[in-house]
This record gives sequence, structure tokens and C-alpha cells, in this order.
Amino acid sequence: MTAAPLDLRSRAAGRLLGAALGVSALLVAAPASADDAPIQLWHAYRGAEEDALNALLARHREAGGPPVETLAVPYDAFGSKLGSSIPLGEGPDLYIDSHERLGDYRVRGIVAPVGDAFAGPEGYRAKAVEAVTLDGDIWGLPLSQKCVALFVNKALLKEVPDTLEGIAALQPELPEGVFALAYEAQGAYAHAAILGAFGGSLLGPDDSFGFVGEPAVRSLDFVQSLIDRGAVPSDADGALVTNLFRAGKAATAISGPWLAADLAQSDVDYRVVVLPTIDAAGGAPMRPLLTVEAVMLSPQGAARPEVRALAELLAGPEAAALRQEKARTLTARSDVPLPPGDELLAAFAAQAEVATPMPTAPAMRATWEPANRAIKAFLRGELDAAAATEGARKRFDDVRRPPPPPANPTPLLVVVGLGLLYLAYSMVRAARSGELRSNLKRSLPAYRYITHAVITVGLLVIVPLVVGAATSLWAGRPETGHYVGLANFVDILTARGGPLLATGSFYLVLLVTLLWTISNVVMHLALGVSLGLILSRPTMKLRGLYRVLLIIPWAVPNYVTALSWKGMFHRQFGAVTGVIEWMNATFGTSVEPIAWFAHFSTAFTANLATNIWLGFPFMMVVTLGALTSVPADVLEAAEVDGATRWQRMWRVTLPIIRPTLLPAVVLGAIWTFNMFNVVFLVSGGEPDGTTDILVSEAYRWAFTREAQYGYAAAYAVLIFLMLFTVTRVGEWRAKVREERELAAAKAAQAASGGAH
Amino acid sequence: MVAVTVSNVKKSFGPTEVLKGVDVHVPAGGFAVLVGPSGCGKSTLLRLLAGLEEVTSGSIAFGEREVTPLPPRDRDVAMVFQSYALYPHLTVRDNLGFGLKLRKTDPATIKARVDEVAAMLGLGHLLERKPKALSGGQRQRVAMGRAIVRRPALFLFDEPLSNLDAALRAQVRVDIRKLHDQLGATSVYVTHDQVEAMTLADVMFVLNGGFVEQSGKPLEVYENPATKFVAGFLGSPAMNFIRATIDAGSGAPRAILGDGGVTIRLPPAVADAVQGGAKVELGVRPHDLERCAAGEADVTLTIDFVEFLGPEIHAHCDLAGTKVVACVETSEGAGVEIGAALPLKIRRMHLFDLESGRALR
Repeated sequence: MTAAPLDLRSRAAGRLLGAALGVSALLVAAPASADDAPIQLWHAYRGAEEDALNALLARHREAGGPPVETLAVPYDAFGSKLGSSIPLGEGPDLYIDSHERLGDYRVRGIVAPVGDAFAGPEGYRAKAVEAVTLDGDIWGLPLSQKCVALFVNKALLKEVPDTLEGIAALQPELPEGVFALAYEAQGAYAHAAILGAFGGSLLGPDDSFGFVGEPAVRSLDFVQSLIDRGAVPSDADGALVTNLFRAGKAATAISGPWLAADLAQSDVDYRVVVLPTIDAAGGAPMRPLLTVEAVMLSPQGAARPEVRALAELLAGPEAAALRQEKARTLTARSDVPLPPGDELLAAFAAQAEVATPMPTAPAMRATWEPANRAIKAFLRGELDAAAATEGARKRFDDVRRPPPPPANPTPLLVVVGLGLLYLAYSMVRAARSGELRSNLKRSLPAYRYITHAVITVGLLVIVPLVVGAATSLWAGRPETGHYVGLANFVDILTARGGPLLATGSFYLVLLVTLLWTISNVVMHLALGVSLGLILSRPTMKLRGLYRVLLIIPWAVPNYVTALSWKGMFHRQFGAVTGVIEWMNATFGTSVEPIAWFAHFSTAFTANLATNIWLGFPFMMVVTLGALTSVPADVLEAAEVDGATRWQRMWRVTLPIIRPTLLPAVVLGAIWTFNMFNVVFLVSGGEPDGTTDILVSEAYRWAFTREAQYGYAAAYAVLIFLMLFTVTRVGEWRAKVREERELAAAKAAQAASGGAH
Repeated sequence: MVAVTVSNVKKSFGPTEVLKGVDVHVPAGGFAVLVGPSGCGKSTLLRLLAGLEEVTSGSIAFGEREVTPLPPRDRDVAMVFQSYALYPHLTVRDNLGFGLKLRKTDPATIKARVDEVAAMLGLGHLLERKPKALSGGQRQRVAMGRAIVRRPALFLFDEPLSNLDAALRAQVRVDIRKLHDQLGATSVYVTHDQVEAMTLADVMFVLNGGFVEQSGKPLEVYENPATKFVAGFLGSPAMNFIRATIDAGSGAPRAILGDGGVTIRLPPAVADAVQGGAKVELGVRPHDLERCAAGEADVTLTIDFVEFLGPEIHAHCDLAGTKVVACVETSEGAGVEIGAALPLKIRRMHLFDLESGRALR
């Protein structure tokens, strides 16, 4: 009787299974590439730039060129998408990307020299060609170039001094609250322009750390002098620079074409000029980093003549003129005249001539974090310039130290082999006993029901987990890495050979993570349960309104909250400082604004405040739900029994809601332990990485320290093991307690059974 | 044990006045039952005695002690809730000992008293269990035990039997009364069940619409209801009421029933209380309608519907346009069937003023 519906269901399950397999086949299968297939072009353009590209491709098609298919890929995902598709023979034939990624792409084998597409350096700007040249080969055709220049507020500054010192000297003449110059003083990217004037660079010869030695020290001391004169805000980030300039609070700003785009909607009257020279550097010009946008060829694309022809067309003078006209981008060609009267493009073009192309070496990626930290530590006054930069070099060298030697994979293979053997053995034994077959037959329908769930969970959870765990046994870059056994774990657990509680060591980060988790959960509980108790009182007016208001922090995406809080904690312009200033003005106090991210305690507090704000509504909602399970008459019974309000809460209400709160606490602890967003976005690990927790530290190893995925995966495995153990121990203890209670009840029953 | 005196207590929840001036006196050691329909204010009065609500006006005294402003813990009362209200997270032992523990009684005393009460109520084998592992009857006993352990001066019961099945209810009813006699403390018991009220009470208070309609010993109240409400509320099946006009013309006064088709003589005891032409409500309990020979009948009715209850038969009839019920013992029930004529003698009747509902006597 039940066979028919069962059959139907199993057929449906079969279809589902088929669909799932089909999808996964699509994901992994490499379609055969034919020579007459349309050319695949990837880019990260939007808006006017994308329109210009499409217009160009339309002309190309009209002229009888082969068909081209384009795909817009988000800029941040570009590298990983290329890396996962090109080696499989998929992905684009050519793509448009920034030149500084070339070194990385070359190591990963996803870019090829352009060959005959590059007819010669004639027609290109020399700096642009320099940028795409690696070891004598041309790896991309330059399209456009970007660098920062000086934005000048015409209303505040009629004449622009030639030197940076001259601009700073104008500070006394400017209105109150206006800075002579705004730029990201704490960021290595903006600092590189000043460093360049002093003859230094972030990356030295042979991939050594460049931000060290005399140029580095002099450039830092110079910046400090600007800040001391009050001419430059000491802790502006990109958004603040934009805001200051747009609000007329900065006479000049160092920024790129993106600021011009932001200013398009505002009524600020400005112009752009070449960055000034620096007297302290002997009158040398500031040398910003130059990014060249280039069209690059994948290995399979480079082999196709029509792809090379298209690349040449994209980089050609006609295309450059069209882009310049439609999207107002600064062309990398020297034979295409600038639009007459376009001062903005003229200024950026002149600036590009004195800029330094961003180094393409993969080691460049590892310079940012130590350089940023060094600048911040110096500006906070913690270290002098020499010590800060020297510390940065040590950190750079530590991160870039050679991976552990390849280990013999035999032990791993033996373990895996033994495991498989045991599995096979036990299956054979079970099959022999005959029970397996009957069991299997009996539970086959049940297996059919869970098949789709097993497949889904397997693909989405188990496979990534296993791949991640396996990655932790490798070292080096994904393409060139090698098996190192447990060396990553040994390295982490021995604090990389340094003191156990050194900055950035696993144990210190673990301690910070535990402190972070415990203080958060305690505060979440205290606040959430208190508010839940208050809001559950029937006598309270406007309860519904308060509930909604208090749940809002939870409903807002947490990165939005994190960024808002980060803004509030800004030392110069944050809301907290605003309150302090208002207090000072109103009550005549003289409280100093707090530099929240300058000290561990305050930075940790800022993170904590943000995450408490984010997390308490969850506990509050759970408490409100749990409180509905506390009968009113039980509380009244306690009242008649003689309990005070306090005793009722501690001895009746809280014990009753405890079992409901417990899973929420465990869940909250796990979330907090891995609360990457808040730590990364609010303090960003400042000061000096001390407020980083294990996940954000793992992130840094994977994404800011030269893609040490194996090392980061080892962190992730350790985090997993810790949380897994804690959860299991908790479960086990709860189970033991339950069993004990049950046994006691049974024993009592048995004892009384005799009596009755 | 204390006497309980409630003087002119009023209680309002917002604009709703639930108790409109109530006076209650329970002698020390007495068992008082507050009875009435839903919404009459009996539970509110009990909660006022417990201290779970505050009076709007009036006063409450236990013995000589004025307790009106005191919180529950200072009143020396114990209460058994309708839902039992056991602490779900505590074992039976801890449930029983909770009140003593709050009063910082020493552990040895707590244990001794808990064991004693557990033995009294047959809870000894359940002491280590949590409430969710108990049956309804066991929970009820734990709730009773929790009240008894404290040895309070006053027990309050809020419909403690309403969640039990009928058989258990009858048994526990007896147990409660026995326990009361054994412990000797004053008890106030709220119920809407007139059987419980009649069987348990030393003194009974019938509440209606926020007032005490009548109080007294249960049988007195049953026999001599002061109002039409009390008369109708007590007794099962309920008293029959028929509108009537008194005819005091020549000879003995008579009552002309309903639309005038039926006339009955008033017995002398009743007749003295009324004047000619008065509009009244005539009340007769179904058990006071006695089947008799056709010649001796005060009224003869036609049967509309019959219910057989075992020991007796309820005959539903029409009397001058009003539905009335007569009880006939099964042994005398031959011929009681739908459509048959039923000659009846009225053993006892009550007269109530049509306007005020007060008994005329």
C-alpha cells in the first residue's frame, strides 16, 4: 500500500540527486575550448568605464572582429576567480587588472607575456611600460594609470606653495578648524609619496624590507613635524580625508581620481596640481605610487592570435581616446593628446611622470602590515622612528622567513591507509555476519530520505572542512607549496621560536581571545537578562516600543554597526570626543579626548562596547522567550512562601530559565570567539596587533602576509579543535548530570517500591 | 490559628470594581468557604488575604493584628494554588522545604519537618523527584505539603481540586477536611463547586457581583436562602422559579402563576410575608416537588423530557409557561415518560421579591 508514494518520493529524491550531481559536474568539468569559441574578457569596470569598453567592443564587432563575451568581476574577487578558473582551462582569454598583481599572477601561472601584441614602447608612457615589465618581458599592455595628486580648495588657497613646508606654513592663516593638508598620515600607501621624496621605498632590492634606515627615519620625523604644527590631522582615514575636504575643513588633500568622483556631487571649488616638493628632502619631489591598469593575457589566451590582436586594439590609440573621452581616465599612451582644457587630467598626467610604479613582486603584499604598524606606533609616540621601522623589518622578515622544509608524507599516508584498511575490514566483517545486509535492507528507505541532506552537508560543510584541515599540512603559496606535516602546528604552538607571550604569538592571542569571549558573554548575559526581566514586567508602559528599539542593534548588519562605532571612537572627530568636548565646554572640565586605539585597554574596550551593543539583544530575546516558561503563580507561590523580590529572581526565575539560556550562552560564546567583523573593523588589531583574536590573526596570515594559507589553516584547525572540545565537554557534563538525576529518581523509586 | 476579619474591603482593577465592600469574619480554627460563580470576586478576596494584591480600601486583620499593608511573607499564611505552582527546578523535598529555607531554618529542622509532612501525605517515596515526574494527584499533595510544612496560622486554598478527576476530587475533599481538623489552623477555601462548599465549610460565604450575598452555616444557607441568587446557586438541580401574583381575596391567599392559568394556595408560613397584589417570584426546589395521587395534587404537569440519573429521575415539565424540573425517586418512577401527566404536591416553597430578589419571609 505504501509502496507507491514511497516509490514516488524516491524518484523525486533521485531527481534531486541527479540535479545535485549535475551542478557539481558543472562546477568541476572543463569544457573543451575550440579555436572558434568567442573571446572571453573579464574586467572590474563599472559605470562610464564599462560603457566605454562596451562601445569599443561594439566597434570591434562592426569591423568584423571575432565575437567577444565580457564578464564584470568584482575587483576584490578578481585574483581568486582567475586563480580558480584559468588553471582548469576555463576563465578569460584576456582580462583587465592592476599591474601590481602581475608578480603574483606570474607565480601562479595565470598570466602569460603578451608577445607580439606589444609592438614596441613607442606610443606608451615610459613609466607605464616600466610597470608591466618583469625580467625583461612585457606581461600586460598598459591602458591607464592612477596615482594620487594634490587637491586644492580654491576658496581657501589662492596660490599653492611649491613645497610641502610652504603649505604647512599657511596653517596659522587658515580659519579655525581647517587643516592645511589632509591625507592618510597613518597609512603606508600615502606615506610612500613622502618616503619617495627622501629616496626610500617600501620594498627594497631583492625583496627586502625597504621602509627602514635613514630615508624611513627622516620621512617619519618630517611627518611628525607637520602634525606637531597642527597642519595635518594625525589619524585620518580615507573617508575622513574625503569628508574634511568636501566640508571645506582642509585647504589641500592628497588623494586620487576617486576623490574627484566623490566631489562631483558637491559644490567645493577645487583644482588638482602636482604634489609639492619637500625642502627637508633637498627639494626632491614627492613620489606617489603609480598603479597602471593593463590588459593581460591568460596562457590559453596568449596562444590565440585573435586574442592578442584584441589586446592590442584595447591598448591602442583609438581605444585610449575613447576611454579618455567617455570615462575621463588618464591614458597610458603618450601619442594620445589630453582633452584640451582638462586641467584635472593634465595634473594627474604630470603627476604620473614623477610617480614610482608600484612594485610587482609578491613580497610587496607583505610590506603593508608592518609598515602601517610602524607608522602608527611612531605617530602614537610609542617608539622612535628608528625602532619602529626596525621592528617592522623584523616582522616582515619573520613573516617571509622560508617555509619549513618538505616533510616526508609517508606517516600521513600510513595513517590514512590504516584508517581506510580498518574501515574496509569492519565493513567486510559486518557484511559477513549477515546482519549488515538485513539492516541495510530494512533501513534503505530511511537512507533514501536523508540522501539529499547528506550530500548537501557533505558538499557545504564536510568537504571544505577536510580541505581546510588538509591545507594546514602544507606550507608556502598554494601553487608552489609543499607538504610539511605538522610543522605549521609546531611553529604556532612554539610561538615561532620566540617568547611564549610575545606580541602576535599564539598564546598571547589566545589569552586575548579568551578575555574577549568571557567579558563579552558575561556582559551579554548581564545586560540581556536584566533587560529581559525589566521588559517582561507587565506593569511597564510602552513595552512593545522598547522591545523593538532594543532589538534594532541585532537587526542592523554587524559590519555597519562596527563601522559606525569605529567612527564614534575616532580621537579627533568621533562622537565620544564630541561628548567630551561638549562636557569640557559646558562644565569647564579639561578632559583630554581619548585616543581609543592607541592602547590595548581602550582599544579592547572599544571592541567590547561594540560587540556588547551587537550581542545583548540576542540574550534579551532568548530571556524574554524563556521567561514565558516561568508561570506567574509559581512566583506568587514563592512570594507567599516568604521570598523577597531578589530571592524570587535568584532562586526561582533564574534557575527556571537557566536550561533555556545555557545553549544560547554556548552559541554566543562560539560566535564571540570567532567574531571577526568587530575586531577587524573597529580596532583592526590596533594597537600593534594586540587586540587581534585568533580568527583575525588567521585572516592576516592568509591575506596580508603573502598568502600563507597553510599557516592560516593551521590556526583555523586549532580554533576548531578548541571549540569542539569545549562544546563536547559541556555536553558530556550536562549528560552526566542528567543521568545522575535519573538514577537518583530510579533508586528512590525502587526503594519505595519495596515499601508500597 | 487566628480569626480572620475582613472589613468593608473594596478592590478595583483600573475602572473595574471587583469587590464592592465585603465583610467576612472567620473564627479562629474555622473552615470558611468562599463560593460563587466566575467573576464574583472570590479569588480576588483570597489573593487580598494572601497579600498578593493590595486592597483599594477597607482593612484586613488576622486576630488582633492589622495585616492590610503587609507583604505576603509577613502574614504567616500558606496558599495552595489551583495549578499547584510547584517549583519545576526543585525536587519534591526542596519544594516542601523552600519556605523554611527562606526563613533560614536550620537544615536538621527542615529535614525533620519535611519528612514528617511527607509521611503524613504519603510522599516519602517521591522526595527526590522533580514535579514533572509526578502525577496530578501527587502534585496536589506536594502543594498541600508545601503549605503544611510551614505551619502557618492561616491556610488559603484557591480551587485546589479543580484539576483532579471526579473520583480523586471526592477523596481529596475528605482528606482536606480531615487535615484541617487535625492541624487546627484557620482555613479559607475558594471554590465555584457548591458540593465542595456544602461539604467542607464550617461557615460559607456566597459571593456575587462583588458582594457577599449571604453567609452562615451551609445547611442554614441552603434551607433559608436570603436572595433569589443564593437560592438558585445552591442545590442541584437548581431551584425552579415561576413568576406569580399574590391574590389575597377571600379566604387563604393564593398565588396566580405566570399567565394566570394555574393557581396554588400559599401555606400559612409563607402567606404572612406577602400582601395582596404583590408581584413575586415563587421558588420551589426540584426535590420539594413530590409525586402524589391525582386527587391530592397542588399542580398537575405534562412531561416534556425525562433524564434518568440512576437513583432518581428528572422530569422536565412546563408550568404556566415556565420550564420546571421535578425529581422523582426511581422506585416511584413508573409511568414517568414524555407526554404523561405528573400530579405533584409542593412540599416547600420560597417567595422572592420580583424587584430586589430578596426572600419574603
